[in-house]
Amino acid sequence: MTTVELDEHPVAVPPAHPGHWHVTWHGVRTVAALELRQRVRSTRWVVALVAWFVVVGGLTLLISGALSAVDDGADRQRGALLFAAVTFLVLGLGLLVTPTLASTSINGDRAAGTLATLQVTLLTPAEIALGKVLAAWTASCAFLLASVPFLGFAAAVGPTPWWSVLRVVVLVAVLLAAVCGMGLGFSALVARPAGSTVLTFVTVAALVLGTPLLFGVTYPSVEQTESVQVRVQRTDDVTGNPTTCELTTQQRSVAHTERTWWLLALNPFVVMADGAGTSSSLDQAEARNDPLGVLREGVRLARTGASATIDECWGVDGGRVEPTADAPIWPWGLGVNLLLGAAGFVVAVRRLSLPQGKLARGTRVA
Amino acid sequence: MTTQDAAAEAAGSGTTTDDGIVVRGVTRAFGAVQALAGVDLEARPGAVTALVGPNGSGKTTLLLVLAGLLTPDGGEVSVAGHDPVTAGPAARARTGWMPDAFGTWDSLTAREVLTTFADAYRLDRAPSRRRIDELLATVHLTEYADRPASVLSRGQKQRLGLARALVHDPQVLLLDEPASGLDPRSRVDLRQLLRRLADEGRTVLVSSHVLTELEEMSDDAVFLSRGRTVVPDTSHGVTSPGDGRRTFHVRALSLPALTAWLDAAGAAWRPDEPWTAPTTGPGGVLVEVNGDEGAAALIRDAVAGGVPLVSAAPAAGALERAYLTLEEERR
Ligand SMILES: Nc1ncnc2c1ncn2[C@@H]1O[C@H](COP(=O)(O)OP(=O)(O)O)[C@@H](O)[C@H]1O
Ligand SMILES: [Mg+2]
Repeated sequence: MTTVELDEHPVAVPPAHPGHWHVTWHGVRTVAALELRQRVRSTRWVVALVAWFVVVGGLTLLISGALSAVDDGADRQRGALLFAAVTFLVLGLGLLVTPTLASTSINGDRAAGTLATLQVTLLTPAEIALGKVLAAWTASCAFLLASVPFLGFAAAVGPTPWWSVLRVVVLVAVLLAAVCGMGLGFSALVARPAGSTVLTFVTVAALVLGTPLLFGVTYPSVEQTESVQVRVQRTDDVTGNPTTCELTTQQRSVAHTERTWWLLALNPFVVMADGAGTSSSLDQAEARNDPLGVLREGVRLARTGASATIDECWGVDGGRVEPTADAPIWPWGLGVNLLLGAAGFVVAVRRLSLPQGKLARGTRVA
Repeated sequence: MTTQDAAAEAAGSGTTTDDGIVVRGVTRAFGAVQALAGVDLEARPGAVTALVGPNGSGKTTLLLVLAGLLTPDGGEVSVAGHDPVTAGPAARARTGWMPDAFGTWDSLTAREVLTTFADAYRLDRAPSRRRIDELLATVHLTEYADRPASVLSRGQKQRLGLARALVHDPQVLLLDEPASGLDPRSRVDLRQLLRRLADEGRTVLVSSHVLTELEEMSDDAVFLSRGRTVVPDTSHGVTSPGDGRRTFHVRALSLPALTAWLDAAGAAWRPDEPWTAPTTGPGGVLVEVNGDEGAAALIRDAVAGGVPLVSAAPAAGALERAYLTLEEERR
């Protein structure tokens, strides 16, 4: 037995304000560094990153090739389409990968027997949760970073302004952070890692697929026949040319989508399309070829719903009033997504707080 | 080896509350399972206290409560002068807890694991580096310091877990089955390390079912059964080395011949394996003798009396005897 002097050493000092929500950068960094080291060193991670790069790159080139074959017209039109495709590809793959990064970080550690040893240290629950979210988010941002070259390429082809690339990257990063928060919450709530991963995927699927589906399903119920104001044009009796516009009241079937537009707004892809801001620098012909712009206009119109007057005064020069739907939608969608992520984080902190009263069914502390 | 009297403990000495562990009437249920049903315990600084009990008796649960991981349903707990429930961080800063199964981060090296925990305890970097080197040497993992923890064997991981529990120089050590998975050499090391830690004035509470090990290293023992501290039936069997009475395990080729002779000689005996049916062939009994001289006299008389003696040796440790006299079965 080697005799080693064990005295004269640092003494652990509990923090001055040891609340559950107390956060220091030191504590968050300690947890995040631990998680990232554990993750990054596995070869699986490198393989995943390389696979991602190849898949996104390959699909970008494929789409670009296909577009130029179909329509060898204006590069500027092709560019908008390509940029939209790459943006949705990156967001879609990011939403597929991120749930697996965060959704096992608490119950996985519990199963491995490493969680409790971390909890008994002087790290606060908020530091542990924040460190874990930060690590998962950093990992998903690495995937995002690997796709920036292709976003840049798509923007370089066409009329997309460079700051749209920046907006897309920032928006995707924030959306992925929200997904990390949801995954963390589920990993704190559910005992089995497989269960929390499935729940996170279900939540993401509900946001991505469920919201447009629900919008479609509820569409008939918001559609009704009622008297609305319609701007019609009067034609000259002799020439048959349109002369003036006139406001009339008619019975029309209208959809009150202003009651359900928020369903679409929750969708991450809508948040992307609305937030990317691609169309603002395009002329009308280009804008029609920009899927992001079209989606954005569509959702903004849905928000206006049947509240505005219907304008059918096409023939009169300067008579038709373009529907004005300038209020951005993405802050709402992004806000709700972030709220969901924050809720997951709060759940995680509460579940990590010591000492524990109730335990999740079928779990032991150690 | 002295068995603590729970009632006397409950009366409380008061002097140990600052650095030791005091538990009074602690209860904790998991749904319908009453894991702790009233535990009274006092572990004093400078001593190794053994926590003995069959599987499912609540040892791990009690250590979780002491480590500040579980809220007790009722009762009072004080660890190093702090209540783990109301003053969690203060208590945890002074407590080193080692779970029975120490999981580890596979990709991290042993040194990184310890560094992470030093950071997690908010220790200063420079002195904690030195301390980590010392600890790695103490648990004989220096040569594995920079290899990933995934290559460590179970016993090596267990030793890393012990080093982890010591990183922040805790006043109170809570070890859950620390000897399981350790080779004999490591067990001796563990025993010596715990002895030294106790001699430095720390409070050491060890749960284990390797009773011979516990017996050699512990100063006090607390028995848990069905979530209660129990005082073992010491009317026979459990004796302190000091009082001269010793239990000998005597074996003979013919158990009936042995017991008949003992009955004739008026010596009190009991079966060595009360849970098995008595045999007519070879077998053994436990006999109370008066020190080594009593044992010598017994052997001499038995041989002279024609009993086919095979062996006579001091019986298994007092702890094990006490453990076996616990009324309750394992669950
Ligand atoms: N998280 C839990 N949920 C339900 N029952 C538990 C839990 N932890 C422990 N128990 C039960 O409490 C009792 C005591 O367990 P434990 O403290 O682990 O015993 P020991 O460590 O002495 O073997 C056992 O019956 C066990 O099944
Ligand atoms: Mg146990």
